Amino acid sequence: MRRAILLLMMAAGLALVVWSGWKNWSQRRSAMQAQQQRRVDLMPGMSSADAGDSSAGQSQLRGKPAPAFTLLDLNGRKVSLSNFKGRPLVLNFWGTYCPPCKIEMPWLEEFSKKYAPDGLQIVGITYDSEVGRDTIARDAQQLGVTYPILLSTPKAEKDYLSGTEALPMSFYVDKTGKVIEVTAGLGSKDELESMVKETIAAGGQ
Amino acid sequence: MKATCLNRTRLAFAPIVSLVFILATTAQLGSAQFDSMDTPAKPKSYVFYAAEQQTVPSARRAVLELRFQIVPGFHINSHTPKSKFLIPTALTLQPAPGVQTAPPQYPAGEPYSFPFDPGEKLDVYAGSFTVKLPVVATAGDHAIDGTLKYQACDNASCYPPKTLPVRIVFTAK
Repeated sequence: MRRAILLLMMAAGLALVVWSGWKNWSQRRSAMQAQQQRRVDLMPGMSSADAGDSSAGQSQLRGKPAPAFTLLDLNGRKVSLSNFKGRPLVLNFWGTYCPPCKIEMPWLEEFSKKYAPDGLQIVGITYDSEVGRDTIARDAQQLGVTYPILLSTPKAEKDYLSGTEALPMSFYVDKTGKVIEVTAGLGSKDELESMVKETIAAGGQ
Repeated sequence: MKATCLNRTRLAFAPIVSLVFILATTAQLGSAQFDSMDTPAKPKSYVFYAAEQQTVPSARRAVLELRFQIVPGFHINSHTPKSKFLIPTALTLQPAPGVQTAPPQYPAGEPYSFPFDPGEKLDVYAGSFTVKLPVVATAGDHAIDGTLKYQACDNASCYPPKTLPVRIVFTAK
């Protein structure tokens, strides 16, 4: 009798172990699916080609020519995408209210100098242009940014961001003018440099 | 003899119980780690006002409590962010008949640092926060309309400043 009870308890214990394992696996699978979805939404450049959500504007740009723009810089001069033709390019949308943007901008400045011999061009595009050139220029100066800072327009935001409000958002454009990577949110400096290198290497010599 | 058997049974059962407990705990810990890595979906509003009917004494100073809830996974700058470049949370109220208001009293924020820059401490609200509004009102039902301006971020991205309409309803007796 006692042996039967013991066996029954062992069986119950085993069932609990199996249930616990299944629950763990199930939760991890859900978490992984959620993470994959986020990569599609936020890091469309890193999602598989068939996983892209066609409603996510930024993912639509991957593999396509960067949309043309003509924007004003902080001195009021017109700057067009075509000014950078043939050069690997990082278009970095940022905002003066955005601390994570200001964490990565000095990194971009560093890469701008480090990879200048490779032709790299970093371009900052200010999302909250309405705060005025003085505020933007003051921020850029405080961050030590010397690469061009342009003022965004609703058209540029529509073409590039398609309603996405998350900043920072960067578009990596190869020498041929094709968007090879799109990222949203702050990543590590190493990740950023790795994407810069990919952009320089892409599009042939 | 019976006691010995019982002890044996307990001894045989103990490792199973321990194993089950350890595995169950591991499962919970595992899921908690994954949860903490999750970035929530991006809503269009990051703060909600929990409107509550309040009753205060009439014709003398009373304090209304305005409770706000921030969407989990996001934070907003406090009323006194550490940097002048950041947009503070601020409540703006329209005049209401029969009600005199004093400046809102904001709670202190809590320190927050973004990943990759742990050195910089920002001052933010997360979860929920309560703004206190001193009023002097005539007897009766009152409504004060206003807006809460805020700017939200999650642990990697920031979102444009938003304006939340607020209607404060209360009765003075």
